[in-house]
Amino acid sequence: MKMFRSISLSAACLLFALAMSSCSNNDPAPIALTAVTFKDLNADYAPLVFTGVAPTRPTQKRKYTFFSFKTGQIVASSDSATNKWDVGFQSTNIIFNGGTSGPGSAGALVQKGIFDEIKTAPTSGYILDNKTTSVFAVSGRPATSPASATNEWWYSSGSANSTIVAPIAGQVIIVKTADGRYAKMEIQSFYKGAPATVNNLSDLDRYYTFRYVYQPGNTNSF
Amino acid sequence: MVKSTKISSNRLKMALILLLRVFIKFFNAHICNPMSSRLFIFLCLMAGVDSLVFCQQADTLKVQQLEEVVITATRNERTVGALPMPVTLIKKDMVKTMGSVRLNDVLTEQTGLVVVPQVNGQGNGIQLQGFNPDYTLILVDGEPIIGRYTGSLELSRLAVGNIKQVEIVKGPSSSLYGSDALAGVINVITERPISNEGNFSARYGTNNTLDLNASGSLVGKNVGVYLFGNRYSTSGYDLSPENYGKTVSPFTNHTFGSKVTYRLSPKTDLLIGGRYFNENQDYNFDVLSNSISVRTYGEGTINDWNINPVITHRFSNRLKTTARFYTTHYGTNSFLKRNSDDSVTYRDNFNQLFTRYEATGEYFINDNNVVTLGVGSVDESVSTSRYNDQLERKQRTDYAFVQYEWNPVRAFTVVSGLRYDRNSIYGDQLSPKFSTKVDITKKFSLKGSVGVGFKSPDFRQLYFNFNNQAGGGYSVLGTEIIKEKLTEFQSQGLIQSYLFDPNLLGKLKAETSFSINVGGKAEILPKLQLDFNFFRNMVDNLIESQLVAINTSSQSIYSYRNIKRALMQGLETDLSYPIAKNFSLSLGYQLLYALDRDVNDAVNKGEVFWRDPNTLVTQRLRPVDYFGLYNRSRHTGNFKIFYNNKEKGWEGSLRVIYRDKFGLGGISGNISGEAVPPSDRNGNGILDDYDYFVNGYALVNFSVAKSVESFRFQLGVDNLFDYTDAVNIPNLPGRLIYTSISYSLKNKQKSNN
Repeated sequence: MKMFRSISLSAACLLFALAMSSCSNNDPAPIALTAVTFKDLNADYAPLVFTGVAPTRPTQKRKYTFFSFKTGQIVASSDSATNKWDVGFQSTNIIFNGGTSGPGSAGALVQKGIFDEIKTAPTSGYILDNKTTSVFAVSGRPATSPASATNEWWYSSGSANSTIVAPIAGQVIIVKTADGRYAKMEIQSFYKGAPATVNNLSDLDRYYTFRYVYQPGNTNSF
Repeated sequence: MVKSTKISSNRLKMALILLLRVFIKFFNAHICNPMSSRLFIFLCLMAGVDSLVFCQQADTLKVQQLEEVVITATRNERTVGALPMPVTLIKKDMVKTMGSVRLNDVLTEQTGLVVVPQVNGQGNGIQLQGFNPDYTLILVDGEPIIGRYTGSLELSRLAVGNIKQVEIVKGPSSSLYGSDALAGVINVITERPISNEGNFSARYGTNNTLDLNASGSLVGKNVGVYLFGNRYSTSGYDLSPENYGKTVSPFTNHTFGSKVTYRLSPKTDLLIGGRYFNENQDYNFDVLSNSISVRTYGEGTINDWNINPVITHRFSNRLKTTARFYTTHYGTNSFLKRNSDDSVTYRDNFNQLFTRYEATGEYFINDNNVVTLGVGSVDESVSTSRYNDQLERKQRTDYAFVQYEWNPVRAFTVVSGLRYDRNSIYGDQLSPKFSTKVDITKKFSLKGSVGVGFKSPDFRQLYFNFNNQAGGGYSVLGTEIIKEKLTEFQSQGLIQSYLFDPNLLGKLKAETSFSINVGGKAEILPKLQLDFNFFRNMVDNLIESQLVAINTSSQSIYSYRNIKRALMQGLETDLSYPIAKNFSLSLGYQLLYALDRDVNDAVNKGEVFWRDPNTLVTQRLRPVDYFGLYNRSRHTGNFKIFYNNKEKGWEGSLRVIYRDKFGLGGISGNISGEAVPPSDRNGNGILDDYDYFVNGYALVNFSVAKSVESFRFQLGVDNLFDYTDAVNIPNLPGRLIYTSISYSLKNKQKSNN
């Protein structure tokens, strides 16, 4: 009797699950999501020139390099006013395609944790870029938090005059993309080739290495 | 070069001996007579106590010769063995045997004391019980030495040729000394005139380092005079010859000290201490300016002086009173010029004045109860180019303290104290302290003390107005001026965004610590003595820089806030054993855990992560992996053998000083353009076991000396195995070999009165 009840319960569950998946998704069955690592995204077109002891940047263009999680590709700068990109990088600045930064609905938030352990994206709480108050998505932080928390939201550079940019471990950026899907990303390095020990007098900076998971389906799970 | 210096130093010495002889004659003829009343009035006016009436009685000199007496722990002369707080005493003889010439040489060899560089990687400050150099008060004859660079007092400013002893009291002593005495107090006691004598010495060693000393004292019936002069010069050293410029640029300094004692009446003594110090340094190096290396030269000077009249009067055998006046000035001036066109690229000046008036009374209620009372006032002012407007900034502190010593039975002592400070800027501060000592058996005693220490915000944190264009472009504004400056920037439309509500930047509070020291002394085997002390310091309201706003050129504007909390705890042990008649052996060790309490809490909650720099995989940091604060070694120690054969005139020492691995904070480069890799390699901004550490190291120092009649010859080597680390430890020179000769002249007939 007891056993029958449990079997029927599980059968009901199974049926329900099948029904749900079949009616919510006409596409092929959900694909297993895998993390993709994008290496050395140049976040400033200007090449760095090494002369003497420190690198100089003679011609910064101050343009963002746009990236789409959906395609996994860099998006042309001329497409800045479209929904084609999700996130843009310039130097240490990161913007998302939404709010005052773009026509999309992209927003972002930071979750502390381990990339692989984050299985679901929150459904709310995403912050849109707001240039007028200089609140850029994830950097929108309460004005009362201590220096260590507010200084830089995705990286730390030690003391005031240190120039090594080190992405903070455990800062997972959850993105609601320009087309309303979810992605999670983790920035791993700011230097070309992601060297284990950065030497800021010889390593080229403004090269992002990050990994991400994009959920193409209409769900917030990863 | 070497020869000519030696010849000239010999000539100098002959001249000095001659001069001293003439002076002795003059002194005996003229000054031993009672001083004119006019001079007396003048001296009293200088002391600021002319309205007070004083008298006096012979001091406890005889006691001092019999037992080891320190003054720092209670502000009164007490034997070391009777004190309930951790006290270290370094006597002149040991300093001489070690061959030390500057205070940092002496302190670096003591258990629990680590000499650490300033933030720019240079200089020598003292780390005590894990506290940064900012938190240890450095006194000379009970009066503070001022002039700190980013909080650190440069110990090499103090010559040791005129010291009688160095007293170190660990644990907070704010209940007696007020601000800065949070980790402890180091008090350098200088010689007094006690006999007619003259001493001359010259030391020459590696890096053309020449140290010349002359001191003389004369004692008359009521008057005593002690004079000291030192000249120290070095051509510096270069740990990275591949870069232009030296690691430490050549410098020369002079120190003059004087002490005049005058017995105004059988019950009243006047002592006037004075000190003058001057240093000149020549710079030659490359400066990075907007990523371009600019060949630069320049000069820096330091001047400091102080004068310190003290009147001591004994109303009776029970009541001893002291009135002290102390005024000191510290000033620096430096400039840098471009080699190519001699144009000035940097100019900096700093002037600080500190004046203190104090009256204390020590009252022996009976043999078992002593009360000490004190009141005083401190005026401080600073004017500097670093505050932009060069306006003079002032603050005043009024204070009162009381200390009660209770010794009901021989085996039980209690010392408790309380001090109240009222500062014109940061407000009130109350610092209590309680210490006790119990002799459990003849061979085993326990002591414990609990106390509160504090450090007031410094002028930099209040009034700094600094814009660093070369170093990436940022501004630092002190809390007293930031609101006004931000309003100004805002009206000029220069603020891009606020990252911290400027209305929340309030007045800075003093940084405080609550400390417990529990230790004891045990004779484990006959003559094998163990001293131990557990310490725990809970530190609150540590002042840290706070990013406040970004200006329209994307530069950060910082100010200061009381934000950080720390914990410094550990154990300190000293074993000493006289292995043979003239041999003594000692072994010292300190275990230290120095933590940022907020970081520690976050690690315990699993909120801190680390990224493997090779695989780029992030993991959660385990609590055991958090190492603690930067620049702290978990293990430090020393092993020393001293030999002293007074009959044959031989003395010698072999000392091994060990410092375990430690981490370096985010220092991006020192002035000679070297990149200093910060320790954090795994993206969490804190020091954990997976980060990069500066290797531990041991220094071996050796010295031998022989006295022949009035002469003494010494030969020594510091850092025998030439250990250096140009990038991480630039303040550690390589092997230093030196030789010295000294001569002492004693007027036997006149010695001691």
